Amino acid sequence: MSILRLPGLTLLMRRPELIRKYLVYAVYLLLFSTLQVTFPGVISFYGIHADIMFVIVVLCSYMFGFYDGIVFGALAGIIRDYLSAPSLTGIDGTVTPAIGIGLFLMVAVAAIGSSFLTIRVKRNFLLAFLAVIVTTLLYKSIGHLVIFLWSNLVSGLSYNMSIEQMLQRSILPQTVLNLMASIPLYLLLRFMGPYKGGVNPSLIDEKRKEDRLWLTM
Amino acid sequence: MRRLLTNKLFVTVVSLLVILAVIILGSWPGSPLNSALKPVGAIVNPIQKLVKNTGNSISNFWAALTDGIAIRDENYQLRAEIAELQYQLTQREEAAIKYEELQEAFHIRETFSNYEIYAASVLSREADEWFSVIHVGIGNTDGVYLEQGHSFAVVDVRMNLIGRVIEVNEDVSDILLLIHEGFQVSGKVNAVNGATFTVLGDASLKQQGLCLVTGIDPDVIPSVGDEIVTSGDGGLFPQGIPIGVIESVDSSDELNITATLRPYSDISDLNDVFIMVPYDEYIEAAGADTSDETT
Repeated sequence: MSILRLPGLTLLMRRPELIRKYLVYAVYLLLFSTLQVTFPGVISFYGIHADIMFVIVVLCSYMFGFYDGIVFGALAGIIRDYLSAPSLTGIDGTVTPAIGIGLFLMVAVAAIGSSFLTIRVKRNFLLAFLAVIVTTLLYKSIGHLVIFLWSNLVSGLSYNMSIEQMLQRSILPQTVLNLMASIPLYLLLRFMGPYKGGVNPSLIDEKRKEDRLWLTM
Repeated sequence: MRRLLTNKLFVTVVSLLVILAVIILGSWPGSPLNSALKPVGAIVNPIQKLVKNTGNSISNFWAALTDGIAIRDENYQLRAEIAELQYQLTQREEAAIKYEELQEAFHIRETFSNYEIYAASVLSREADEWFSVIHVGIGNTDGVYLEQGHSFAVVDVRMNLIGRVIEVNEDVSDILLLIHEGFQVSGKVNAVNGATFTVLGDASLKQQGLCLVTGIDPDVIPSVGDEIVTSGDGGLFPQGIPIGVIESVDSSDELNITATLRPYSDISDLNDVFIMVPYDEYIEAAGADTSDETT
């Protein structure tokens, strides 16, 4: 019986909403991370797959705030790095799976998503979709730029995509697919998410102006 | 200090700097950070296998429902084919005996007889166009070891090239697919004294499932439809593994003639792959294993 006296456990037992929060986050994290890499072609167009891990991190951070988003994003990034790391060609030409890039991406995306227009506008569902669009555009544009710069640094590598090709074959299809994926994911987080009613109570409690109340629409 | 820790900008910048440091340290050859993700596998791998098996079961169940009539028709056709193949088999058996006799007489080595072939199932695929390394369920525990600077060819069930192994962990290995940037292999037209060139993954072609062919000699330009196989140059890949066929040739610039190649293997529909480990490395690994056991 001594285990029941642990402070963390008693806190969990007293607060079923905490259990719900951690359970839902854990299930969504593992389910969507594994779905993304096991059946990537479910929502796919022209060789581009909808990035449901990315979308759920943006939506979580936008809907439930900075701290939820950054922790969820970091865990999603670690799993992404483990399951499907990007390949990195080193200066010496050796190709290795790069650890940490997924983590960097997801934490950065969560930070952007959580503060997306929240200083001036109350959180609302249309802006949640806009956050997905803007973060996807940023990710793909910066990604192409970084790879282009890296390819010029490493001898033997070439990155010969024109800006038109980048837009047509990568940035725009990815944005459209992510937007499509964000609709069911938004509904899932809103109605079967980690918080009852789709609202993080700590955002309501906070009086700081950058974390305003979720506006139900 | 407390105020700093509640400042979101500060937390974000510090987190990203720490992660950047992790990326740089992780890219160092032999970095211990590369094994830092091992515990993640203990949690994620069983769940991923469960999701994969559930998805496959649903897909199989759906296929069983929808394909019933088609399967029955196919069954009739297959029975006829079996009868035909049975006849051919008896003829081939005779030819095989003759071939073995000739092989002995001329000391012909089978194409890949000096490679140990390991079968592995695909666990995870690309997360997006850049997170492109795929995971297969084979590793050190199965006797596969990869030394720094080495690599193993990966083929599909029809022995067509899929990619190469870039890292081997305890129970999973990472594979770089041939359509992705960073992949390079020396290829040649599958003919006697066929022209050699470089086949590589290209950012602008990978969405179409194509590879780029460069280093083409202006005097020996491959034609559309030519079959390309590995040339064996460079030593990483054995000679003669089919890669694909030439789909188009761009000879507008004589100094830089390029072509596109459509790989034979269907990368989007991979379930099982085969890793080709040269026997010398296989024996070294096996030796290391036994010496570990004895010590």
